[in-house]
Amino acid sequence: MKSRFLFPYGSRLIGYVLIFTYIPIMVAKKIFYHGYMDHGLPIKLPDNSSLLTPDHVFNVIATLVVTIGLLLLAFSKEKFEDEQIIQLRLDSLQWTMYFTYLLFILIVIFTSGIDLVHIVGINLWLQLVFFIIRFRWVIFRLNQSSKAEKAVL
Amino acid sequence: MKNNIRVERAIKNITQADLADLVGVSRQTINTIESNKYVPSTVLALKIARIFGKHVEEVFILDEED
Repeated sequence: MKSRFLFPYGSRLIGYVLIFTYIPIMVAKKIFYHGYMDHGLPIKLPDNSSLLTPDHVFNVIATLVVTIGLLLLAFSKEKFEDEQIIQLRLDSLQWTMYFTYLLFILIVIFTSGIDLVHIVGINLWLQLVFFIIRFRWVIFRLNQSSKAEKAVL
Repeated sequence: MKNNIRVERAIKNITQADLADLVGVSRQTINTIESNKYVPSTVLALKIARIFGKHVEEVFILDEED
């Protein structure tokens, strides 16, 4: 079985680099920039700022950096791709959808107005983050159980 | 589904890693199949049976729960 539509194995490293570039940039922005902040959310809030201002360009770049980083991290090939990895990936995707929509239901019930826009924006990243954590966790467990078995044999 | 992979490996005197290389999967996958945690695809089951020179039904056996 061939796994399609996945980035090469090495692109996971690029993903890590992009995400760890984003964090110091946002910390620096918080320290040195005292203007309007939207915390680099994936959704640009409907305010009166226009397109292609320095603030807008900065937000676009910061958002793209972290989104592309998460995508590379989530959907790069494993060192050894086989049918079990494909199944674990699909399984993790299903869990991610359940998690995302449970969260979405809770958000709709407990928030309103601008908070709703904010949190739904965060949710766009959160589902990738949840998927990455779930998938890496099952791969980790697979390797652990296999190591334990090897020690016994 | 149960399987006799461990026994067949012992007869043929090959390790999990050897079998994994022969059928083109990771050693972890062979390990989880042997311990009945993962049910292989038909293609993989056929490949494993071919390595042992047996029919699939001789290596993989349906369980009562299946």
